[in-house]
Amino acid sequence: MSAATVLEDDSLLSRSDRLFFRLESLLNLASGLAIFMLVLMATVNILGRWLFSSPISGYVDWVEQAMPFIAILGISYTQRVGGHIRMDIVVGQLKGRWLWFTELLTSFAMLLVTLVLIYGSYLHFWRSYSIGDSSLDINLPTWPAKLVVSFSLAVLALRLMLQIWGYVRALRKGGDQPIAVPLIESPRTVAVKEAQAVTGRQDEEVSQ
Amino acid sequence: MMDLFHAMGEMDTIQIGLWITGVMLVLVVLGLRVAFAAATAGFAGLLWIFSAKFGFEKGFMIALKMAGTIPHSKTASLALSLIPAFILIGFLAYHAGLTKSLFEAAKRWVGWLPGGMGVATVFSTAGFAAVSGASVATSAVFARIAVPEMLKLGYDKRFAAGVVAAGGTLASLIPPSAILVIYAIIVEQDVGALLMAGFLPGAVSAVIYGGLVVILAKTRKNFGPPVTGFTWKQRFESLPGAMPIFAVIAIIMVCIYGGVGTPTEAGALGAFIIFCIAIYNGSRWPELKSSLMETAKLSAMIFAIIWGVLIYVRFLGFADLPSAFSDWIVSLDHSPMLTLLMILCAYAVLGMFMDAIGMLLLTLPIVFPAVMALNGGVGVTAAESAFGVSDVGCAIWFGIIVVKMAELCLITPPIGLNCFVVAGVRPECSVQDVFRGCIPFFVADVITIAVLIMMPGIVLWLPGLMGFA
Repeated sequence: MSAATVLEDDSLLSRSDRLFFRLESLLNLASGLAIFMLVLMATVNILGRWLFSSPISGYVDWVEQAMPFIAILGISYTQRVGGHIRMDIVVGQLKGRWLWFTELLTSFAMLLVTLVLIYGSYLHFWRSYSIGDSSLDINLPTWPAKLVVSFSLAVLALRLMLQIWGYVRALRKGGDQPIAVPLIESPRTVAVKEAQAVTGRQDEEVSQ
Repeated sequence: MMDLFHAMGEMDTIQIGLWITGVMLVLVVLGLRVAFAAATAGFAGLLWIFSAKFGFEKGFMIALKMAGTIPHSKTASLALSLIPAFILIGFLAYHAGLTKSLFEAAKRWVGWLPGGMGVATVFSTAGFAAVSGASVATSAVFARIAVPEMLKLGYDKRFAAGVVAAGGTLASLIPPSAILVIYAIIVEQDVGALLMAGFLPGAVSAVIYGGLVVILAKTRKNFGPPVTGFTWKQRFESLPGAMPIFAVIAIIMVCIYGGVGTPTEAGALGAFIIFCIAIYNGSRWPELKSSLMETAKLSAMIFAIIWGVLIYVRFLGFADLPSAFSDWIVSLDHSPMLTLLMILCAYAVLGMFMDAIGMLLLTLPIVFPAVMALNGGVGVTAAESAFGVSDVGCAIWFGIIVVKMAELCLITPPIGLNCFVVAGVRPECSVQDVFRGCIPFFVADVITIAVLIMMPGIVLWLPGLMGFA
């Protein structure tokens, strides 16, 4: 999955966007490392069970507590690079201010539901934290995996505010070069980037 | 305004369900990200229903708590951990240098057939599908490797581009397939059974594609020569390079079919093997980091749709819309098979405008119960059912058909992404060339889907041996 183009300049908006993107990239990498740890743990578990009849104690608990980190830490990064699936065949036909207005509207709707979910997931975390809820097998505390949902959604909310700022700016300025928001790209451009994302190494192989 | 609120409060739950679903579709068409369109609709629907019952303040808190728990409770699952493992296998495989050796092996083993390079491309994409669940990426990789070789040998560029674009679609059925895992989770079926069910239809699709290439080579003039002259020694020498792929296939089959491990462990072990091969072949931290970043991003996207849609599904449960839709579908005068075909055609049209995962997740909560009802409902036996399959069998069979249908849209206009990918990688082929090159494969896919519909046994044989269906 490739990344959408996000234009940059020297404005405060663009600088904030780039700074925030560094945090998002770190969180996304943390999610990737959690995936890698999950793979290692499952491998050790299955080999331990096959070879020594001793699987990892509380394996299911560990995986279940790790999954929310994997599922949601990268949510804001994915939004920044335009990675969340959307149907842009209609909105892609719009141009200039009409396009930025529609994008502003949908970003605002997305922000609203994100704020609702932050509050709802925070209550979910707080209940768990206050009663000292733990996993069934090895009594891992469940609150960190619940708090990460509120945290990641809060990061997403900040990203959406930045994007709303970007669309408001684009709406005021007009034109087709908005800063700090993912651009809608043609299927051809998406495809070329998709190909580049996975075939860098194949290029080397073919040229050998 | 008060009248409007009053009228909203008076509506029955099915009317609310229809309104909310309509709003969700408008949001999707307006370009709101699918995950958030579903979450917005789900939360609004819960708010509407509970506000009508208990007043706004209490209704808001109930809806808030219900929606707020789902992103955690529905993702903290052992079964779902399979998805990132499968995605990671795919990304690591690009860095493991397996594609060229796989294509070389396929060329030496089946290149002697008429249209041999095309057949080799089909079987190497099918082989690569066994380590990569991503159709578009598979086409991108083989467009770099196979198309230049075919063009060098004088194959028609439309055909060369078409076979690569179509070959990529095999990834969706041949395990490991992330989209089949997602389907299994949403319709609450066994993940292992779905993965095993995809194997034979994927292999049948590959054989039909291969047969089609042979027929095209035999019937068309100047099609392109077979590749001959390889000795048995050279053929066997080509196998070690492709061995990791066979190892991954064997591990997944043995773990799931043999019951010696869970699908998650199979996926993780497969990812670990491919990781070791990638390290052995020279991949280091930059390649690993790139794979992890891409895997995390794709996982976040998929999980967002899963929990977003599950918020909507929670609302649907209160609105009773799926059962109302099922009752309506069953009450239609047409035969169940005709209704099923109409549903599949609707998917074909929808798939032309929407990504397969988004399309399936948005529609399955309503369509799947209707298809089950058409077959005779939960608990029906194969003998009593409309489609000749039991309830579990119907769930698996429909999953394979609908995924195949969704993948068909990757090679049809207007946004058949596989075709755009091939045209993007090979500037000498226009998108129109690729779409034209795909026409025979589109026909072959339609035939495959017809065969799968008429002979559910192809889908259900392996899950049947495991005790399903």
